[in-house]
Amino acid sequence: MIRSILISIIFFGSTLSVTAVAEEFDFIVSGGVDSARPVAVLPFSWQGDVNGPSQDAAAVISSDLRRSGRFNPMGRHELLQQVDNYDDVNVDLWKEKGIEAVVVGRITQVPDGRLKVAYELIDVYRKNQEIVNGKLYTSNRNKLDSYSLFVQPENLRFHAHRIADRIYEKLTGERGAFATRIAYVAVDRSVTKSHRLMVADADGYAAQEVYSSSQSIMSPAWSPDAQKLAYVSFENGRSEVFIKDIYKAGKALRVAAFEGINSAPSFSPDGNRLALTLSRDGNPEIYILDLNTGRFSRITNHYGIDTEANWTPDGQSISFTSDRGGRPQIYRKNLFGDKPVRLTYEGNYNASSSFTPDGKTMVMINRTNGLFHVAVQDVETGAMQTITETQLDESPSLAPNGSMIIYATVYRGRQVLSVVSTDGRFKARLPSKKGEVKAPVWSPFL
Amino acid sequence: MSIVKFGKSVVIVASATLLFACAGSNTDDEQQVVETVKPAVVPTPPTKTPEELAAEANAAAREAAGTTVYFELDEDVVSSKGRAVLEAHAWFLSQAENSGIVVTVDGHCDERGTPAYNLALGERRSKAVAQILMSYGVSSSQIKTVSHGEQEPVAMGHDEASWSQNRRAVLDYTE
Repeated sequence: MIRSILISIIFFGSTLSVTAVAEEFDFIVSGGVDSARPVAVLPFSWQGDVNGPSQDAAAVISSDLRRSGRFNPMGRHELLQQVDNYDDVNVDLWKEKGIEAVVVGRITQVPDGRLKVAYELIDVYRKNQEIVNGKLYTSNRNKLDSYSLFVQPENLRFHAHRIADRIYEKLTGERGAFATRIAYVAVDRSVTKSHRLMVADADGYAAQEVYSSSQSIMSPAWSPDAQKLAYVSFENGRSEVFIKDIYKAGKALRVAAFEGINSAPSFSPDGNRLALTLSRDGNPEIYILDLNTGRFSRITNHYGIDTEANWTPDGQSISFTSDRGGRPQIYRKNLFGDKPVRLTYEGNYNASSSFTPDGKTMVMINRTNGLFHVAVQDVETGAMQTITETQLDESPSLAPNGSMIIYATVYRGRQVLSVVSTDGRFKARLPSKKGEVKAPVWSPFL
Repeated sequence: MSIVKFGKSVVIVASATLLFACAGSNTDDEQQVVETVKPAVVPTPPTKTPEELAAEANAAAREAAGTTVYFELDEDVVSSKGRAVLEAHAWFLSQAENSGIVVTVDGHCDERGTPAYNLALGERRSKAVAQILMSYGVSSSQIKTVSHGEQEPVAMGHDEASWSQNRRAVLDYTE
């Protein structure tokens, strides 16, 4: 099992170096694969020029499925059949090997240069024959999904993620989040522009720089339409909040530069408001900036530190970190007047809260016995459990489907990104090739 | 008293312009020279004023104390050692001739905990230092505070040896 994983990752890596896609991360599975469901993603066939496709779509899909922690795709050298369409799949062969689902596909280059990508997903255990009135009929009920689309060659990789999303949804009933992106801060103190705000595909590929500075960058946050990032920059010597359009050239908009700290931006679910922390009135308080009117309204009022506001999925409340009780704990406040309610009691430090899209689970950083770990808390019962064993964890960010958490941690003396499934069963690291990476934030659905 | 002998004492303590006045005066009229020069010279015998001596002592004390005070984990309380550092700087800043000098207090945290909370904690540390400086007589208009949170460690390790150096507030006179 372990060996097959390593081999397929090597294959994956070598495929990409051949196609010269800039890769910023490795992906190293560090635990929790045993519970994953066995599937097989067969290499997609190619009809086109001799150079072949720019991306190994099947390898991208395989890697995505593995990265979810829910699936264990078979290593390519172990595959039992080399076919590219539903009709040729020998279901019994795969059933013998315990494979639950098979993915086949083909890519055809059309004269205008675009690629026609087609795929099918087959449920190995669902019967495709039935007897009606004493006669045996063959149906295609075991074909769970099929899909065909024309794409530009440069978009092939992202479309492979979209296919992985479809497979994931068909097999789990939950929307996939592979065709998403992450923003993060890369730090390399050996160069002048030591801090870079980056955006990459969720698997770390196609990284591009959004902004760079010789000074610190903190707390990137996505707008709900995934077009903008809010972030904190020290480019003017102290913390100020900016919003930048990722895909348009031009300067970032400075939205908060008051006396004191300006930090921790968080877009409201409707994208019209930005919660943030300002200490302009003496100590850090949560404010909400109406992005249409430019008006700030103060949400908290306490001499303790209030910061790290995060919106509940319904946009009616915020959770935030406050040390009004002595040590940092998470509180929740309805925006229409209630007093804040304390949510956390386990450990003497709980911070960086966020909620899964269904609102049932809160994710946070917990400190117990001096160790900082990612933790989840059942919103209804208040039961908390830590789900990581890594060191100095910070900045947890949920995938838009709530299934995975990306966070920053220290591994072998370097700050790296890691992922953990929200149920804590699957864990992986994404060490960068150079420098350090931190403050990861997962994009909304794209 | 000869003019030559008197002239020597003038050379030691008086300014160049005073010397010029002496050189240009008539040596035949000794009494007149003594009378005009004497009021300017008599108060000068000590080589350094108490103020100058105090300033020098303070400069040495500031040099020895450095510009950094350190904090315990989670805390913004300045230790007695830190207070001594701040007292030395406060004396300097509160002198009338230094009233135009502005010091920036940069607050920092170690890497543990969340970056946004640490940014707030760093501000609390820089403000704790500002409060102490003011309690020692520094004008609030001479103090600026900036928090850097955990963003600018001086020691890059991931252990207490580095963390204890990074939990700090630094006085910065470069404007």
